[in-house]
Amino acid sequence: MTIEETLKRIEAHKGVIGTIVVNEEGIPIRTTLDNSTAVLYAGLLRHLTMKARSTVRDIDPQNDLTFLRIRSKKHEILVAPDNDFLLIVIQNPCE
Amino acid sequence: YQKKNTVTEHVTGDMLNEHIHICISETENISLLDIPSTLVSVEADDAETILERNRRYAEVACRNRMGRDNYMDQAVQTLNGAAKNKQTQSDGVVMVDTATTVTNWDLYNTWIRPEQHEAVCSPEPERVDGPAASLKASRGSEMSVSVGSTASTGNSEGRDALLLLNAESDLQWIKLSEKFQDCVRLMEKTVLRNTFQPKFAAYRHLPILEDADQQVESGKVDVKEDTKGPHPALECLWAFSCELTRGRSVSSMALNKKNPDLLAVGYGEFDSSNQKPGLVCCWSFKNPMWPDHVIHCDSTVTSLDFSSNNPSQLAVGMLNGVITIYNVQNQNSKSSSQCYRKHLGPVWQIRWIQQQLRLTGEEKVEALISAAEDGRISKWFLSNNGLDCTDLMKLRKDIHTKKKTTENKTEERTEIVLSALTPGLSLDFHPTDSSIYLVGTGEGLIHKCSSSNSQQFLETYWKHFCPVTCVSWSPLSPDVFLSCSSDWTIHLWRQDHFCPVLSFTSTHRAVYDIKWSPKWATVFGVISEGQMQIWDLNSSILDPIIVQSAGPGETMTSLLFPSQTDCVLVGDSDGQVTVYQLHNLQRESNQVKLRDKRIPSMVLPLFTSL
Repeated sequence: MTIEETLKRIEAHKGVIGTIVVNEEGIPIRTTLDNSTAVLYAGLLRHLTMKARSTVRDIDPQNDLTFLRIRSKKHEILVAPDNDFLLIVIQNPCE
Repeated sequence: YQKKNTVTEHVTGDMLNEHIHICISETENISLLDIPSTLVSVEADDAETILERNRRYAEVACRNRMGRDNYMDQAVQTLNGAAKNKQTQSDGVVMVDTATTVTNWDLYNTWIRPEQHEAVCSPEPERVDGPAASLKASRGSEMSVSVGSTASTGNSEGRDALLLLNAESDLQWIKLSEKFQDCVRLMEKTVLRNTFQPKFAAYRHLPILEDADQQVESGKVDVKEDTKGPHPALECLWAFSCELTRGRSVSSMALNKKNPDLLAVGYGEFDSSNQKPGLVCCWSFKNPMWPDHVIHCDSTVTSLDFSSNNPSQLAVGMLNGVITIYNVQNQNSKSSSQCYRKHLGPVWQIRWIQQQLRLTGEEKVEALISAAEDGRISKWFLSNNGLDCTDLMKLRKDIHTKKKTTENKTEERTEIVLSALTPGLSLDFHPTDSSIYLVGTGEGLIHKCSSSNSQQFLETYWKHFCPVTCVSWSPLSPDVFLSCSSDWTIHLWRQDHFCPVLSFTSTHRAVYDIKWSPKWATVFGVISEGQMQIWDLNSSILDPIIVQSAGPGETMTSLLFPSQTDCVLVGDSDGQVTVYQLHNLQRESNQVKLRDKRIPSMVLPLFTSL
């Protein structure tokens, strides 16, 4: 089961609007959205993730951020961070 | 006065042309007088005497200056070497401004994890950098100036190309990274959870969160009302199914002993006209759309079980008689295909059982026991090239004839001659005494055996006249077990009675599987051809309380009650494993209302041990 297949399954799932894979420099390397939106999400969410991780680790340095969800009126942004990259999925759970 | 003796040489012309080498060198410095100056601190102890002496000396020198030759003031100048100007030039020192915010985790990283220091996310620069400008400082200090830009459109073409190249290689590298795989899997489960949250919550007895932004759908309300009535009902939560499994028939299911969210399902067809290689899928209860692991097997899977001592080991028994132990965490597997004593027919049931060693009494050694078509109950252990076995029991046909009625004496004689082995179709170990087990045979007999006695059966229970497809000890009442058979009947036995205590017949179809509920002592589930029935002996012993029919063209093949939930898993011939939730069984834990008049008095003694 490769990553590519899993990503395709996620993208095909109900309510998923788009996925973005961001590398360590903040550049989207794989996305199903258009480039400008992807770059926008990548830049903004990267900073937010760094801040969130900084917060979690400030409280307890042995802890680490594993997942970040932002629920908004229209949809939900799911961010799975790692040291080197970011996986962002935007889903509309109500659909 | 010394007379010089000089020798004058006659100077010839040749001598004048000779080259005479004259070397001039410095002699060593000859010190004629060296009085180094002495310095005494003003605060020293004898400073006053020295000062006094100095003063007197100065007076003497000054008073006697005029007309005296002894002392003269004379200034001396040291030789100053000739000065020469030399110019040199160096590269400009590149200055870069760096700022960092010191945080708790930063200190922790530096002191506790120095080797991972570089890998951790970089310290926050004080300026807000856009994505293109947030390259590392080593790539050029001129890039750190841009502020607040979020679009990369203003950059030069050359840099874009470089970034694209990097992006592609990053993508390749990321795809191979294990951590990214974990990330993606986690994301998949989270995305699914958003959709399936009500179902998952119902499975785990958690409150179902109402989505505040969701528009209320009126259609959903009706479905819920069915299950709110007073009658026991089944609610279908979800079904595990994917394109790999469609069209295959579910043959067996097992839950992992350590992680109750991991379900292994074995698939395979039993009719030899449609032989596809078997498949085992390990499903997670957090992801109903795709299994976590897929294992392809050589032959149809007939039975599987997870180990308790090594929770990642899954033993699989197959139609060609081979038993393989797979490890779900890595790709190792050990197979019995090379064993010369392997089973010659399909392995119908396989179980891991923890047995206490008699010597120590403390350790729980685990053994893998299998029952197969060739009539042997074997205990398997690891050997050099795979698995090897010893026989715990051979299911002989002749023993039971002594218990038959004595009218059939002629039959007795012929039976004894044919001492063939009868297939063992089902195996179950006693829940508390792990050396006692029951075997259901192809002749319709149920033998109670002990793992310490491999020659004789302890008891034989005879009531079925068709192959016994399943036997199951009750987990909550220690002496009670159920058996079901292709002769359409289900019998409830007690260990010391040779006649069944109760018999149930509900459909005129073969019964394939039967399982007790782990939560309620009087509830069990039955799979017969085309139907799944839930019986509750507390309510009725004549009819099942819930009947769920299979869809058209499908039959149900397998049943499992996960512990700690009130759900039941049903596998069918189309490769789907459906999770149903049981509602309104009017039961709390395993209490049986002994005063309830609906319980027939025969059943009461069975459950008085509770």
